[in-house]
Amino acid sequence: MADKNLERRQILDPSVADLLNGLEERQKEAHLPRREREKKARERAKIKARREQRTTYDLPPAIRQHIKQMGEEQHLPASQLVTLALFRFLQQIEAGQIDLSQYKQPSHSPRYDWNLVFPEDWYKKI
Amino acid sequence: MKIISFANQKGGVGKTTSAITLAAGLALGGVRTLLVDLDPQGHVAFSFGLDKSPGLYRLICLNEPLHQTTINVRPNLDLLPSDKNTEKVKRQITISDFRETILADRLQSSSYDVILMDMAPSLDVLHVNGLMASHWVIIPTRLDALAVDGVREILLTMGEITKRGYRFQGYNILPTFFDRTTRETLTQIQSVVQTFGKRVWPPIPQDTRVREATAYGKTLWEFSPNSPAMAGYQDGTKQIGGYKQALQRLMEVIDG
Repeated sequence: MADKNLERRQILDPSVADLLNGLEERQKEAHLPRREREKKARERAKIKARREQRTTYDLPPAIRQHIKQMGEEQHLPASQLVTLALFRFLQQIEAGQIDLSQYKQPSHSPRYDWNLVFPEDWYKKI
Repeated sequence: MKIISFANQKGGVGKTTSAITLAAGLALGGVRTLLVDLDPQGHVAFSFGLDKSPGLYRLICLNEPLHQTTINVRPNLDLLPSDKNTEKVKRQITISDFRETILADRLQSSSYDVILMDMAPSLDVLHVNGLMASHWVIIPTRLDALAVDGVREILLTMGEITKRGYRFQGYNILPTFFDRTTRETLTQIQSVVQTFGKRVWPPIPQDTRVREATAYGKTLWEFSPNSPAMAGYQDGTKQIGGYKQALQRLMEVIDG
């Protein structure tokens, strides 16, 4: 049986591989009918326009689930609910209504000095 | 100390621009760098806004010490310049004993961290001297059939040098003048990647600012640090290619 720890060798520079994939995809597109080419171009423009708005954070799964559920109940996009929550959070921070220091614990990470540790019951309430 | 040469027997493929830009990038990063111009055209000095001068001739033919023949062109960056007198260097080398290692011998005792050599597009005794002095070879190439043939030629020359007992640590292919809008570019890069695999570095996009920088006697780091030739193409959130990425790859070579 093959050793599961074996890693496939990288035979191309990763950036060159990305570039080649993109170029090959575009060449395939060039052979599509005009309507499909236009559709692809629109999709690309849409993705490009949204690029600035996208980000990735690690969140507790319970919060993610709760936001998703709320979005479905209210018939609203989850992104807009999160945007509302963050606006309110920033306003409260600005007004001095939230004190981060009460949640701060020293971090062992070389990258950060602190972690925010939240009360256990917050997770239960969600 | 690591000696890295920029070579391709085809002219006009971006050897000089690549050598200058990467040397300037190393120097900006605090690496003590010497840039050696082995081309009698003397375009390296010109690109730094200086007059051509016979530094290489004085080093090899007049036996002057290296530090007297170099010019400090930027912080951490010295230049051993060339001019038409470099043709005389070739004649001098031809009639010398141990002629293939003369340049290597003269550079060996220097105190630089890195020496980059811009080779002439030729196959003569100075070219062989340059290759014999090099630990690593970067082969800039346009993605057209003639320039890619130049890659094959330089590799054949390196193969012949290897047969004489010299061991290169490695080489890389640096695609230049990259124009991702043409079908020929895709065909050529597919072919180059198929042949050379991981040795192919991300490409340098075609960019008019490279020519402008030379005309003003500035490096791209000074003239246009965010131009496509420097920063590469935007692909999603990533940048692909450009001299900044090439510099990262070069640092990996230098760090071994």
